[in-house]
Amino acid sequence: MKENKKIFIYGGIIGLIGAILMKLGNPGNMGICVACFYRDIAGALGLHRAEVVQYIRPEIIGFIFGGVLAAILGGEFKSRGGSSPIIRFVLAIFLMFGALVFLGCPLRMILRLANGDLNAIFGLLGYLLGIYIGIHFLKKGYSLGQSTKQTKVSSYIIPTFSILLLLLLLIKPSFIFFSTEGPGSMKAPVLIALSLGLISGFILQRSRICTAGGFRDAILIKDYHFLWGILGIFIFNLIGNLVLNFDSFQISFANQPVAHTNHLWNFLGMVLTGICSILLGGCPLRQTILASEGDSDAGITILGLIVGAAFAHNFQIASSPEGVTPNGKLAVIIGLIVVILIGNSVVKNVLKERRKKEEVM
Amino acid sequence: MNDFYCVITFHTTQEALAFEKIFKEFGFSIKLMPVPRQISSSCGLSAKIPCEKKEKILEICEEKKLEFDKFHKIVRKERKSWLLNHIKKTTQNNE
Repeated sequence: MKENKKIFIYGGIIGLIGAILMKLGNPGNMGICVACFYRDIAGALGLHRAEVVQYIRPEIIGFIFGGVLAAILGGEFKSRGGSSPIIRFVLAIFLMFGALVFLGCPLRMILRLANGDLNAIFGLLGYLLGIYIGIHFLKKGYSLGQSTKQTKVSSYIIPTFSILLLLLLLIKPSFIFFSTEGPGSMKAPVLIALSLGLISGFILQRSRICTAGGFRDAILIKDYHFLWGILGIFIFNLIGNLVLNFDSFQISFANQPVAHTNHLWNFLGMVLTGICSILLGGCPLRQTILASEGDSDAGITILGLIVGAAFAHNFQIASSPEGVTPNGKLAVIIGLIVVILIGNSVVKNVLKERRKKEEVM
Repeated sequence: MNDFYCVITFHTTQEALAFEKIFKEFGFSIKLMPVPRQISSSCGLSAKIPCEKKEKILEICEEKKLEFDKFHKIVRKERKSWLLNHIKKTTQNNE
């Protein structure tokens, strides 16, 4: 019980930070959005040329710094990896497609809900179905294989990448793109965003909050520990919005910031994101923290998210407030087929290996 | 009050579910839960087991070829807060 209270408060701090960052200039209902922020970073690095969503988000850099710091202080910074990296990379790409058709990662889905965006209800229902499908694979024995100890330098790659991002953000060389209009131009002051990101990263590493894990445990083993964290995010973000962002608080489907009202594709996009999150062992937020602990499988996942975001904008997969694109619909359908095939194939392989082992014994 | 409890950790979710199924059939009080924060920064599953049944449980795992990662005994740490410790000390002294 005491543990649940603790994670509820930790979640609450993340929720409050979400409300504060929105107040300080981040886009509507996007105080924090891990998928959108990687997408903005992909744009800033020139990997896609959607001019309205290009910015090196200091929050992401802060998450990684905070995660590294908490892991080092807790003696948990360990180089590990080697668990089917290429499958993770592909799953991450499709996770991002689903998220950008919906317009937000699971964390932003919660923040959208907490500011009255009812479209996120369809996203949530989709996410839950996706998690349910993912659990079906887990029950059958789905596993990407154990990660093993890796050479030390592997664990430094993502933290180094984040330092590099910070340098690019501060130096602003001419080859880096920053939006002058649209969501990419809406931003909280760098130092505050970085510091609040760092606090979030620290808390997330300590509490292990994961939007996928919370629902997974609740459905699979009826354990509600992580769900308390998600609830904390929702409730405190709601309170934060009522106090800080009351002007924008509006319970409706229509006219929500950076959102569209196509229920079916809000739903299906998040089904895809939900399945991928379970098959990857964590949502984008959690992957970011794992990567900062030295987990290079999560590191590859982050790179997959960035590449996925670039593809999503280059191929007109990402939605916009105007709605879903034909390519977006196609990408979600292809994504659902591919990730279910991947899940099935992994399960088959696990069963085959097990049979082989039993024959030997 | 118990100041320690015991858990078994697993490599995969399926191992945890198989473990729970078999031991519930044997009538053990098993509860699946997230891996305690003290032993891991991961968010996988573990099974809380009665500490005194450890030997018996490990024996059955061997017999039924149930795979798992590790057995852990977790001691709940005393509260570190100096204030609470101070209050505790003063009350003890007064007694």
